Amino acid sequence: MNHRSNYIGYAIARLAQSIVVIALAYTFTFLIINVLPGDPITNMLLDPENGFSPADIEPIIAYYGLDKPVLEQLWIALSRFVVGDLGISLRSNLPVSGLVLSALPSTLVLALSALAVALVVAFLLAFASQNLPPRYGQGLLRLLPAASLSVPAFIIGIFLIQIFAFQFGLFRITSPNSFAATAFAAIALGIPVSAQIAEVLIANLDHEARQEYFSVARSRGLSRFELFAHHQFRPSSLPVVTMIALAIGELLGGSLITESIFGRTGIGSLVQGAVSSQDYPVIQAVVSLAAAVFVIVNLIADLVYPLLDPRLRTRNRGREPLADEPLVDTEAVAK
Amino acid sequence: MTLLIPTPVTRRRTRFAAWDVPLAVILSFLFVTLVIAWSLFPSLFAGYDPYFGDTSRKLLPPSGEFWFGTDHLGRDVFSRVVHGSWSSVTSAAIAVCIGLVVGGFLGLVSGFVAGWTDVIVARFIDVLLAIPNFLLAVVIVSSFGFQTINVAIATGIASVAIFARVMRAETLKASTSVFVEASGLLGGSRWHILLRHILPNAYRSILALAVLQFGSCILIIAGLAFLGYGDPPPAADWGVLVSNGKDYPSSPWLVFAPSLVIVATVLAINRISRWLRR
Repeated sequence: MNHRSNYIGYAIARLAQSIVVIALAYTFTFLIINVLPGDPITNMLLDPENGFSPADIEPIIAYYGLDKPVLEQLWIALSRFVVGDLGISLRSNLPVSGLVLSALPSTLVLALSALAVALVVAFLLAFASQNLPPRYGQGLLRLLPAASLSVPAFIIGIFLIQIFAFQFGLFRITSPNSFAATAFAAIALGIPVSAQIAEVLIANLDHEARQEYFSVARSRGLSRFELFAHHQFRPSSLPVVTMIALAIGELLGGSLITESIFGRTGIGSLVQGAVSSQDYPVIQAVVSLAAAVFVIVNLIADLVYPLLDPRLRTRNRGREPLADEPLVDTEAVAK
Repeated sequence: MTLLIPTPVTRRRTRFAAWDVPLAVILSFLFVTLVIAWSLFPSLFAGYDPYFGDTSRKLLPPSGEFWFGTDHLGRDVFSRVVHGSWSSVTSAAIAVCIGLVVGGFLGLVSGFVAGWTDVIVARFIDVLLAIPNFLLAVVIVSSFGFQTINVAIATGIASVAIFARVMRAETLKASTSVFVEASGLLGGSRWHILLRHILPNAYRSILALAVLQFGSCILIIAGLAFLGYGDPPPAADWGVLVSNGKDYPSSPWLVFAPSLVIVATVLAINRISRWLRR
């Protein structure tokens, strides 16, 4: 009973904190865009090269409150953001939310397939790191994650294109949304992420293999696979939930460059276009939405984590919980 | 059993172990030194003018004369890589300095001064962590203007959060330790505790992080330059070289050579960081 109310209290506190962080991320982006260089939207509108007539400019200035003090502009923008209004694009005169929504599916497909690639590669590496012949196989394999962390997604992407598109003709970059092209883009985006996950996973597997219960299980005569699956892999795999949540930022940021290389349209190309045409409302919207996605995914991971880990269930039984510890009584939650 | 081992022996052994640097780390140091030498004295290493091309020898594959081949204007790619290392290396160094100073300060304040200061700074760190690094850098560059120096500043601001987080964790860890409590009880002032106990304890992990960040800043800067947010060509920043090279798929060395240098540099830096952290 007590634990349950503790979990709910923890969940509410985390939720409130997440909302604050999202609002602050919006504010921070707003300040970077609008305050540091000094009213860029007005400057961009007044630049004769951009071809805005005074009749075009007036409604835009009124809409964003550009003649008002910065704090009031922030208030206008923030109160629109809260109800899901992301403003109007300066270039296309369309609502930004529509632009984002139409760009989102392609990026979502790319990011999720990259995540799938990352997980498969990381799990394969982790499995092999425990089961290959120790001396050469494992030693070499353990170098791989650290090595692929040093290779940025754009280099992997270009290499994949050079080798598989131009040499072997497995996909054509002129049709970037085909299955094969998407798969290779996902590999380029996913490999650096897989390296991070694999590093943590391998470290955890090594840690579990040194535990006493692992030796006990082995001396009970369990098969190698059973030993790996139940006593080594299961406790090691939980931190992957947190790793996935943290990787979301990298997948979103990396989609910018991956989309550019593979010629895909999506959130990344939307941002790139907005940056080169100084379409600040679009930049503002995408960055704050990316922050919101990151915060929400991490919130979910934090809230789900205690439910997944049986050790956190029993550990809190029968003693007063520590203040900064995520708690849960799954028995209570399950009811 | 262990009590019987005489102390001088263990001392000598640990001192020997301190010099016992793995071969990979020595090679990494050598390579990073070479890259730094390239950036400081490019004309010692580059045999050709990096900006002037001779079209009679364009798109030549790598050979004894042109180690990395030549590009579409007949410029020696190796000379361009060597000359480009200055902007790549100094940008990354500026970025790490910004991250280290600003992030380190924020983390130290937040970890050492409890209460509202900590709450506010911790939320600010959360905000910086929430915005994807690369996107944050893109936004800052787009509002500062497309120049390599702005790319460096943007990358630095984007790496503030990670420094602040590690510094805060280290400060919290050290300031709850028994020796800090003892120092406080003996009458040590807050400054004394900060300078004598907390900073020396945080030093090692912050140093390892700074080295690691140096590597990832090189990657972020190359990525931004690749997208064209740095100085425009004929600047020879490594990311620009890769970006130019990708337009000539029939001359793959234009991409492979600068990519190889980027990856080897970051690999060496990461190996050094790993060794520092051990």
